[in-house]
Amino acid sequence: MDLSQYAELFLAESREHLSACNQLLLDWERAPANPAPVGGLFRAVHTVKGMAATMGYARVTDLAHRAENLLDLVRRGARPATDDLLQLLFRARDGLEHAVELSVAGREDEIDVAEVVADLDGAAAALAGVRSGARPTATPGPAPEVAGPITPGRLVQVTLRAEAPLKGGRAVLALKKARSLGEIHDVTPPEVAFEAEDFDGRFSFRIGGAAAPGDIERVVRSAGDVEHVTVGGEERRPAPEAPGPSGAGTPDARTRHIRVDLGRLDGLMDLIGELVTVRGRLNELAAERRDPAIDDVAIQVSRLSSELQAEIIQARMTPVWQVFDRFPRLVRDLARELGKQVAFRVEGKEIEVDRAILDELGDPLLHLLRNAVDHGIESPADRKRRGKKPEGEIVLTAVRERASVAISVRDDGRGIDRAKVLARAKREGIVDAHAEALTDDQLLRVLARPGFSTAEAVTSVSGRGVGIDVAMTRIRALGGSLDIRTEAGKGTTFVMRLPVTLAIVRALIAGVGPERYALPLTYVAETVEFGVQATTIVEGREAIVLRDRVVPLVHLRRLLGVAGDPPARWPIIVLEMGDRRSGIVVDGMLGQQEIVVKGFDAPRGTLPVFSGATIMGDGMPALILDAGGLV
Amino acid sequence: MSDAGVVRLLLFRVGNLLCATEAERVREILPRLEPTRIPGAPPVVAGIVNVRGTLVTVVEGWRALRQAAPAPPLPPAPASGSAPSPAPAPAPASDPMTGGGAGGGGERVGGEGGDVAGTTVLLELDGGKKVLGFTVDEVVDLLSVGGEALERRQALPGIDPTLVRAVGRRAGQLFVVLDTDALLTPILSS
Repeated sequence: MDLSQYAELFLAESREHLSACNQLLLDWERAPANPAPVGGLFRAVHTVKGMAATMGYARVTDLAHRAENLLDLVRRGARPATDDLLQLLFRARDGLEHAVELSVAGREDEIDVAEVVADLDGAAAALAGVRSGARPTATPGPAPEVAGPITPGRLVQVTLRAEAPLKGGRAVLALKKARSLGEIHDVTPPEVAFEAEDFDGRFSFRIGGAAAPGDIERVVRSAGDVEHVTVGGEERRPAPEAPGPSGAGTPDARTRHIRVDLGRLDGLMDLIGELVTVRGRLNELAAERRDPAIDDVAIQVSRLSSELQAEIIQARMTPVWQVFDRFPRLVRDLARELGKQVAFRVEGKEIEVDRAILDELGDPLLHLLRNAVDHGIESPADRKRRGKKPEGEIVLTAVRERASVAISVRDDGRGIDRAKVLARAKREGIVDAHAEALTDDQLLRVLARPGFSTAEAVTSVSGRGVGIDVAMTRIRALGGSLDIRTEAGKGTTFVMRLPVTLAIVRALIAGVGPERYALPLTYVAETVEFGVQATTIVEGREAIVLRDRVVPLVHLRRLLGVAGDPPARWPIIVLEMGDRRSGIVVDGMLGQQEIVVKGFDAPRGTLPVFSGATIMGDGMPALILDAGGLV
Repeated sequence: MSDAGVVRLLLFRVGNLLCATEAERVREILPRLEPTRIPGAPPVVAGIVNVRGTLVTVVEGWRALRQAAPAPPLPPAPASGSAPSPAPAPAPASDPMTGGGAGGGGERVGGEGGDVAGTTVLLELDGGKKVLGFTVDEVVDLLSVGGEALERRQALPGIDPTLVRAVGRRAGQLFVVLDTDALLTPILSS
């Protein structure tokens, strides 16, 4: 059986299980007396072992086997976590991850796990010695062996999931597991046939021994990817909430799901983009012709393409946990390394964003979390002196707001020392020499200057700016914004706001002279109309006062260099990004429509206020204004 | 430009210059399309155009090569389907660098062609990673020449030598093979 075609799937599934292991280890570390995560760990490692064995990755199998041995002993002894044990298991997990990646890359001979294997065996031997009457070598099987009289046994019929990869391997694994309960006879089709290309995942066998049907089913199911099992003629359906083979903490993404190449979704998105453009043209034609029959068709096409578009966008939506899940481990490791105590919490991990955005979130978040651990959270002793709990808290939260998603990183650490940043900003001439304080907004601008705090002068905030410029650039490129709130002694919060999807957005079309620009509604708070005389000057900037709030104005005509005179009354589009607002003065509002966001090659000198371009209903391109560049 | 082998060249005229580029770098030849201005971009950039759903940044050929503007001013609407059939060879002129039929810059483009109001050539840049539009007054010919027929000559009147990859001759008339990467890449920001 050629397994190379399964390598990708093996990799993806192994990663899921190993990611779950991380989470479980962290859970266990937090509550060492509660052995609940150990069962999950055991199952996850066991599944990886089974898959690796099927793939013929001997080293992964071996390492997993030894980790499983140890976990089994721990599980049976219901032992609490010790720091040594956790460290060892973390190492084993990392070793497994590394071994899996190397194996799939065909570099199995580079795997070097001798040290961790020796440590695992040592720990297992120590544990086995502690347990009275423990068998010298633990069997990985989850149930005790039962030596019963050989009987014809119960008939067990198994059907593997239709979409399961490596069906033959699963079947072999299921049989192997079943053997731990009793003698196996009458395997149909014979085991050799499992290897055949056309093996459809259905097989049956008879099992001796006294195991209860429930136990038999459980053991067979633990092989993974089992659709249903019938024991002794009586079909047993799993309870709907029964954990699947990967029920080790990761939401089971496989049930009724298929993996789709992201390139395909991108292709669909491009096509739907074209369709939306053509739809716009059809609507315009229909409006010109005033023919009810054409109108009808145009309306139907509109409705259908809207639905199709919504479906495709939905298909691209991915829960943020796919990126967030690697952070607990990262924060833990970093905290240990720096001698900090950090409780890390994640909220809203089920919130969904476009895959293309999610893929770009990892790095900025990494920077922000690193900053929080390194520079936000004080050392335990320091915290005690200030009357805080020795354990600091970092919370990563995703919240859906209107058409955007807000992702925040909050710490309860020391906050940023504004006075020091101000002093430094003055010295570098970033702010006015007479400035007395920095607002949050100014502070962020200073911190986000490339390399601002790499100099040693600002010790207590050193490094604060490192990465913030990187994060800021990345977020802005996605059409998002970054905000900061910080309070001395209380902590710092960074909030990034991002559009939910990049591909198609609703936008306001603004007219400026003969030109048209699209402004995504994501950050549009309202539109108002003002006369010239209603403006005031606040801090040297022209502004309007809207419900007691000062909104500085940006004249698009001037900004974009459009010739001609503006009308006497100004339509103003009020943008809102976090706490910042800005009023964009245009000549006219030309309506709202769905636009397909496209990239273009920006020539040198292009004003940095565009996030892309789109094609209007008449086929002409129009540039898309980037709210982040205007507010 | 190697000495061996045959190179296929697309010949086009910009102002008084007869220019050429390797045909394999030419993605497509289109009638002039009305561009959307890009605020802040230098004047040499005409704007972006919609090529069947893809946005392409267009560079104004006469500005890039410092030629006179084609007159009369460019008509705003896309010219009606005038895909460039290789135009008949312009009559040889006395000045080897002067395009056929044009006594000097600023004369009506494509005199007898009538509706041809300029053409946009889509060029691959940077080994095909990018595509840029380049407006020309007219496409003149598609030519196969042996590598030995091209001279690595750079100093020519009326054109920046760093933009010239080689010089060739067609019907007695000199043409320059443009280094389009050198010409166009600096216009794009990184």
